[in-house]
Amino acid sequence: MTTAQAPMTFDVSSTPRVPFSRLVRVELRKALDTRAGRWFTGSIVGLCLVVVTIYAFAAPDEAQTFGDVLSVSGGVLGYFLPILVILMVTSEWSQRTGLVTFALEPHRGRVVGAKLCGALLLGAGLIVLAFAVAAFGTVLGGGEWTVETEILVNGFVIANVISILLGFAIGMLLMNSPAAIVTYFIYSLVLPIAVGILASFQEWFADLAPWIEFNTAQTPLFTGDYTPNGEELAQLLVSGTIWLVVPFAIGLWRLLRAEPK
Amino acid sequence: MPVIEVTGLTKSYGGFTAVDDVSFRCEPGRVTGFLGPNGAGKTTTMRAMVGLTPPTRGTVTIGGMRYADIPNPGRHVGVLLDASAQHNGRTGREVLTIGARTMGLPDSRVEEMLELVSLTGAEAKRRLRNYSLGMRQRLGVAHALLGDPSVLILDEPANGLDPAGIRWMRSLLKGYADRGGTVLLSSHLLHEVEQIADEMILIGRGRIVAQGDRRSLLAERRTGTLVTAEDMDALAKALDAAGLSAHAAGEGLSVEAEPVEVGRVAAAERIVLSDLRGADGGLENLFLELTADTQREGNA
Repeated sequence: MTTAQAPMTFDVSSTPRVPFSRLVRVELRKALDTRAGRWFTGSIVGLCLVVVTIYAFAAPDEAQTFGDVLSVSGGVLGYFLPILVILMVTSEWSQRTGLVTFALEPHRGRVVGAKLCGALLLGAGLIVLAFAVAAFGTVLGGGEWTVETEILVNGFVIANVISILLGFAIGMLLMNSPAAIVTYFIYSLVLPIAVGILASFQEWFADLAPWIEFNTAQTPLFTGDYTPNGEELAQLLVSGTIWLVVPFAIGLWRLLRAEPK
Repeated sequence: MPVIEVTGLTKSYGGFTAVDDVSFRCEPGRVTGFLGPNGAGKTTTMRAMVGLTPPTRGTVTIGGMRYADIPNPGRHVGVLLDASAQHNGRTGREVLTIGARTMGLPDSRVEEMLELVSLTGAEAKRRLRNYSLGMRQRLGVAHALLGDPSVLILDEPANGLDPAGIRWMRSLLKGYADRGGTVLLSSHLLHEVEQIADEMILIGRGRIVAQGDRRSLLAERRTGTLVTAEDMDALAKALDAAGLSAHAAGEGLSVEAEPVEVGRVAAAERIVLSDLRGADGGLENLFLELTADTQREGNA
């Protein structure tokens, strides 16, 4: 050991706290330094590529613009990105690494903040890759290089930020990988279908659905003129509070108090 | 001045009190052994010391500070709470790299620590799911020592180590304390702590039942002296004449007196002794009582 022989005393006067940027870099590294993390991230990009390739051959010519392909590749990404984010949060509990993480940085709020920044950065990186995949698909399909700004902003940025926050909230709330992933699939797959079936039978429910179901409320962001009107915006806010803000707040409260075992 | 100071620490979960009014101190330059059966509250106490478990009552300070107030705590307090609490998909080297990056240490420190705990390059490349408990313990100790801290808090560090590993751990911690470091380590095995610790704290069912430096703790609970002589008859006669009560114990005699008194009697009568030692079964008995109380099988 090089530092071995100096006598030891407890003196913190010349030690600065761990800078936030370093915590973010470490969290980003932790998301990708396991085989599971790397494979899952790689698989998301791979799946985007496969779906876009199939789309290029299967979709009609008039639906082959860069904007169309972007929606496809962004949709696949937005579907799986939350799982990656869930694992970033839950592995601290399921793999029990929280014992070390929270001992090295006892201010858990900083760790949570760093994790969220890491998740957003990772999401940004994947958005860029999904963008490149969409460009490849456009070349393959021979479509026009046109894209509407709203698709770019709503379909790519807003939708993916929502899905990152959602994954983060579910992860904090359940602090258990399998439970959180199952819950996410119920939210994103089962719930919209169930709501759709109910809405088709009961008119009053069809009116109510966008107020209480976040997936349904987001539809105006990706269809029509991509601009939610006043009522649709209110529906987004109400259902967003139910499905995103409240779970995020309770999850955060729970995580900051939980005892890592 | 003590480095670690635990005062009136209490932790209750609903109606169950895991740690009950525990107070102790750890001095620099000493290895303090925290001894108790499984479920006695050792781990809960150590978790409370590093802020992972909020105490119901009481305080813990390290160097006069709350753990949460120590900047970059890994540089000052090395912690190993559970060697198995690591991501099974990471390699040993990656686990240390994450720690080093968090603490702001160069990657060369990782190699130094791997060498210190004798994990080879090939072993460091393996994922933790393929590690034995002994390898995990070595990695955990390496992680605790990464930041060159002056305080070490280790929960069951010898668990899973082979005899050579325990000997290695002992000399490592001894050297560390000799440099002025403060070490608190827990164990549920008496002989393990006896060999390593200068000070001992015995805990059972959440309460401290005995504490002090090892020698005085052993002397305090000494039940007598075990002695064996070449001429046992002469020894028995001499002890009887000196008014010391003795009874047969194995090959020798168990005498209700300090070893030095027995030695004096033997020297005066020019009796050759082949064995003379204090019977320190008291501590072991106390420890077994603690264990018996908490053992479900009740066969201790």
